Amino acid sequence: MQIWSWHGFFTYLGSPYIFRGALITVYMTAVSMVMGFLLGLLIAVMKRSQRRLLSWPARFYVWFFRGTPLLVQLVVIYAGLPKLDIRLSVMACSIIGLTLNEAAYLAEIIRAGLNAVPTGQIAAARALGLSERQIAWRIAFPQAFRLIIPPLGNSVNGLLKTTSVTSVISMEELMQRSQILVQDQFMVLELFSVAALYYLLMTTAWDFLQRRIEHYAERPYRRQQQSVAVDPIELPVTTQDAR
Amino acid sequence: MITLDNVTKSYGTFQVLKGCSAEIGRGEVVVVCGPSGSGKSTLIKCINALETFEGGQIWVDGMAVRSAQTDHSALRAKAGMVFQSFELFSHLSILDNIMLAPRLVQKRAKDEIREHAKTLLRRVGLERHADKYPIALSGGQQQRAAIARALAMKPDVMLFDEPTSALDPEMVQEVLQVMTELAREGMTMMCVTHEMGFARQVATRILFVDAGEIVDDCPAADFFAGRCSMRAQAFLRFEADHPG
Repeated sequence: MQIWSWHGFFTYLGSPYIFRGALITVYMTAVSMVMGFLLGLLIAVMKRSQRRLLSWPARFYVWFFRGTPLLVQLVVIYAGLPKLDIRLSVMACSIIGLTLNEAAYLAEIIRAGLNAVPTGQIAAARALGLSERQIAWRIAFPQAFRLIIPPLGNSVNGLLKTTSVTSVISMEELMQRSQILVQDQFMVLELFSVAALYYLLMTTAWDFLQRRIEHYAERPYRRQQQSVAVDPIELPVTTQDAR
Repeated sequence: MITLDNVTKSYGTFQVLKGCSAEIGRGEVVVVCGPSGSGKSTLIKCINALETFEGGQIWVDGMAVRSAQTDHSALRAKAGMVFQSFELFSHLSILDNIMLAPRLVQKRAKDEIREHAKTLLRRVGLERHADKYPIALSGGQQQRAAIARALAMKPDVMLFDEPTSALDPEMVQEVLQVMTELAREGMTMMCVTHEMGFARQVATRILFVDAGEIVDDCPAADFFAGRCSMRAQAFLRFEADHPG
């Protein structure tokens, strides 16, 4: 038997079946990340609340979903919901599981970001008469978001690969499809290398996207092009309003 | 305009304010001075409810500060505040910093707010910096922008909490100049500061605070002529020996 078949490798690399599996992986990551972020934001805000009625459920949520394996959560959702007469597709179950699980981790990241917003900024907003809700949306969230882009990037990167766990409930994403094809001709190395290459491609694309997001969020904090004017005396207008 | 009636406040067992009373009329410029840790900043932050207090009452233009019925937003719109560390919103341009609260809190027309903001920026000499972010400005410029931001709410009174303490000596002057002009225009002002020169020139009255009590409350002329408590006289001598 051959050690490595280039023919096999390139056949699988060009396989529409595998390619669509990768698209499913991207889709699941994007949807779970966005929904997980929104749920995580809610949980982070609740956990920071002075009211125990809000903070305790949030603490329980994070404790539970970080403390049990995603694999178990997925199986419970997949096998449990039908017993309550709730019938959902495998895709829906996968996204629910990934979202609930990811939200617990994201909540902690978001909480760290909110804690890092200088208290003086919040006090200044209060002094101007902004409501707590306005302060959250206009001051705290935007400033916190900029701070947590790097760890959020970690999460997206991790989630791209964690989606493979959904294969346990027969979700046909990239990894599951690779394993299905292994049954066919037993080209384990070739298939898994193709899968790895796809994952690398997806994480690399995310790296670029993250850099763009970071670049945008850092705009107010870059000194260059703004030219620091130290001289208190106003000089004649020059062409320094570059932006 | 502002009435302080026996205001008390404690942090745990430490009493910061031990019954402070004073009356500040419209158009007065009151400088609050005293040694560090005496409770000056806490006192001024009680006025716009940034700090809570347990005893006594404060009225701002007839509104009771310590009351469940009080609309804090309306109270804070009456009393503009300037902080020691400027606290311009770092993610917003100077113009957006100034326009934010009039738009969100007072819901004034956008065109009017923009015109008003530009007028204020001209007044503090920053019209060319409207579209920059705070980080691109010097400390003095940031503080002048912060004053403009507070004025954008058309407040009845301006509260200053050590507005020049974080600034280089040269920048102190440009900020004091803006404040002096504001006082000349008749703005009611209450200012916690160590700038005795400013107090001498601009203040109508001095409140000298020590260990949570208003020890002196007298016209500025009397205060600087030495017609004040022994404690204040010692403070003045020290400040004279250690300028800045």
